[in-house]
Amino acid sequence: MHELGVVIEVVKTVENFAEKNGVTKIDKIVLQIGELSSMIPKYIEACYPAAVDGTMMEETKLEIEILPGNGICKECNKVFNIIQTKGKCPICGSKDNEIISGKEFMIKEILAC
Amino acid sequence: MDTYKILEIKESVFENNDRQADLLRADLKKEKTFLLNLMSSPGSGKTTTVLRTIEALKDEMSIGVLEADIDSDVDANTVSKTGVKVIQLHTGGMCHLDADMTKQGLEGLGTEGVDFAILENVGNLVCPAEFDTGASKNAMILSVPEGDDKPLKYPLMFSIVDVLLINKMDSIGFFDFDLEVVKERVKKLNPNIKVIPITAKTGEGIDEWANWLRTEVKNWNEK
Repeated sequence: MHELGVVIEVVKTVENFAEKNGVTKIDKIVLQIGELSSMIPKYIEACYPAAVDGTMMEETKLEIEILPGNGICKECNKVFNIIQTKGKCPICGSKDNEIISGKEFMIKEILAC
Repeated sequence: MDTYKILEIKESVFENNDRQADLLRADLKKEKTFLLNLMSSPGSGKTTTVLRTIEALKDEMSIGVLEADIDSDVDANTVSKTGVKVIQLHTGGMCHLDADMTKQGLEGLGTEGVDFAILENVGNLVCPAEFDTGASKNAMILSVPEGDDKPLKYPLMFSIVDVLLINKMDSIGFFDFDLEVVKERVKKLNPNIKVIPITAKTGEGIDEWANWLRTEVKNWNEK
């Protein structure tokens, strides 16, 4: 349910883009989803067919790239994956860090004829 | 075989909606209509709070209400009895309103001469937080029976609102709900948030809420 609304938003954005750029057929769309975003790739894939049904993207394939949820340690500046270490710096053990990637939910590109 | 070319879009999924929301906000500013986006879980007392709000402010400003639900018109029916302009929006299964739907709703309602429009969003703490509706300010209601752990479970919602109403304060004796803990949790997510405890049913706290709205509506429609 949550994902369906945003996938419909994706379709709208791509349709606008296609119209502006004179694209009539889209073979593939590539999304980038951060590990720390509130989107679950599995559910995006599951509701994608429903969202594109009856649109110009009906035949368009979906590819998802996962972007890592990385943070930088405020104590020792080590960049590490927050999810794997549960927010704890693997070098100094500090839990004080700043998120530098992983919250994205982007339309990266489309493959068009 | 077709030759394909790659077209870079590099756009956040919410960018399209965010743009429409900004346009709508600019229009509302011009028309001098303050739009409040009111969000909460189902059953937290949104409609009762809307009724109390209308009661407190209807003599000093012109109010319009947009009721958004997946189905039915019970809320619009209830609100229409107060005599203010109201329109029921059906999202047709969608769990939130976006800027475009809000715009359509406002057009249906007719914002001319309306100083203060209330958008009662679909009862949901997840998706409405992600879609900017174009509202001037965002408010949410957390009711006591829902529990004081909700800011931990739905952090995004608590971090995007300007004001948090804590409703059903009269029932606090029956639940393990710690008001101070909630305040602490939401301020951590959102240092500028205003927290107002209310009981919509009895009218407790509505004065403070109405005062906040008075100031915001005035600021919006003056500048």
